Amino acid sequence: MERRNSLTKSIKITLVTLIIYGLLVATHLGEFWPFSIYPMFSQAGNPWKRAIVQEINRAEIDSLWKTTDKNGLPGKTVALNELNVNTNDIANYLSKTEVWTPKKQSGVRKLLQKKLLKQSNLLVYQARGSLSDNDEPKLEFVPYFYFSADTTISNPDLRTE
Amino acid sequence: MNFWKSLFETDKNPTKGEALHFKIFELFVVIFVLKYAWQWGPYIQQIGEVVLPLGIAQYVDVSFMFEHNISLINAGLISIFALFGFFRVLPKYSYLITLGLFHLHYVSRFSLGEISHGSNFIGTSLLALALALFFFNDDPVRRQRFTMGFIFFFFGLGYTSAAVSKLIGTGLTWPSGEHLWLWIAERSVDVSSSTGSFTPNAIQEWVLEYKFLGTLSLAFGLIAEFFGFLFWFDKTRPYIATALIAMHFGVYFTMNIMFDVYIYELLIIGYPWARLIDQYLDLDKNPILAKTYDWSVKFA
Repeated sequence: MERRNSLTKSIKITLVTLIIYGLLVATHLGEFWPFSIYPMFSQAGNPWKRAIVQEINRAEIDSLWKTTDKNGLPGKTVALNELNVNTNDIANYLSKTEVWTPKKQSGVRKLLQKKLLKQSNLLVYQARGSLSDNDEPKLEFVPYFYFSADTTISNPDLRTE
Repeated sequence: MNFWKSLFETDKNPTKGEALHFKIFELFVVIFVLKYAWQWGPYIQQIGEVVLPLGIAQYVDVSFMFEHNISLINAGLISIFALFGFFRVLPKYSYLITLGLFHLHYVSRFSLGEISHGSNFIGTSLLALALALFFFNDDPVRRQRFTMGFIFFFFGLGYTSAAVSKLIGTGLTWPSGEHLWLWIAERSVDVSSSTGSFTPNAIQEWVLEYKFLGTLSLAFGLIAEFFGFLFWFDKTRPYIATALIAMHFGVYFTMNIMFDVYIYELLIIGYPWARLIDQYLDLDKNPILAKTYDWSVKFA
């Protein structure tokens, strides 16, 4: 009898959790940690946007706002792990921000603060990937921001406030 | 009814191996809760702005976590309550409080737009432990059975849901090799950005050379995930756990993404360790094992 009661109780708790799980993910775009519909990689073949940060010298500043391919990136790629910054955070910051208010811009600066304190000149790029007509991946790199210790310049094509 | 009986193993007699295995599993969960708490605590201090509010952050402005070391204080509180839970201090509420604080930690850490799933299984395991201690506070055996059954149910559901999301999001063409090419290109940017450079490994070079290898790899992953619900059944659990571990290694070799905590957890819960402990280890004769067992019973 006790075993049966315990089983009924276990089933009830699991099913009520399942209902709450369903309600939370249905009303929060599939995510309410730790509940999720696990949609990672569900959109195969869709274009994507990532980010990369280049450390440049002053001579390269002239080429600031040129969209380029990987071989055309100026300077040296900054290893964000060494700054304890996850590249996903900068990538999502760039792709999910529509209007670049001063606060949003300083948010990107804050993530790169350790590098800027060392007087580095940084160019933040958004990498855009897609499949070409013949199903080959193609990549382009669009510059978003130039940062130095005391300067922030945004690409004139970005929406700012 | 038989399905639930088998999931929660209500008809089985408790064994020493089961008690020992359960406490080892619980220790694993608590270690990872502490790891995330202290990994994210300092990171949250670097964040300046909420870009994507997740979970509770849609209702509460979590930017207060970004300054004055509040996230470090939260990491400390998570640690205290997780250890309380483990050692059964305030047993009914300690893991529930840990879970609430951990949720706040998660939505603060991932407020910059990334939706990370790396900690979801640890979160689900913590939820299982919290519910078990809350509802079965007076019965260690029922508590263990409920925890594991709950976890098997939601892990199986999670993997199957991931496969269904892919079939809905893309359709039956999801495993086409060119999709993996595009993801490898994406990861080449991510790895360069994280480490400063990227060199494809041998498997990535083969996949880029022979499209069908990419298709095979993706098809295997999709099928393994789809059959995640086999985790619900005692007999099929070790096989699906092995397939899912292989799938996670495949993701690592082709896309440089390591879901290590998922692999560890599948290794711990996917195989009949309790039965093997009972069969091959004499807990009474080995003094270290005997002590460990006594200790696991003391805090069962």
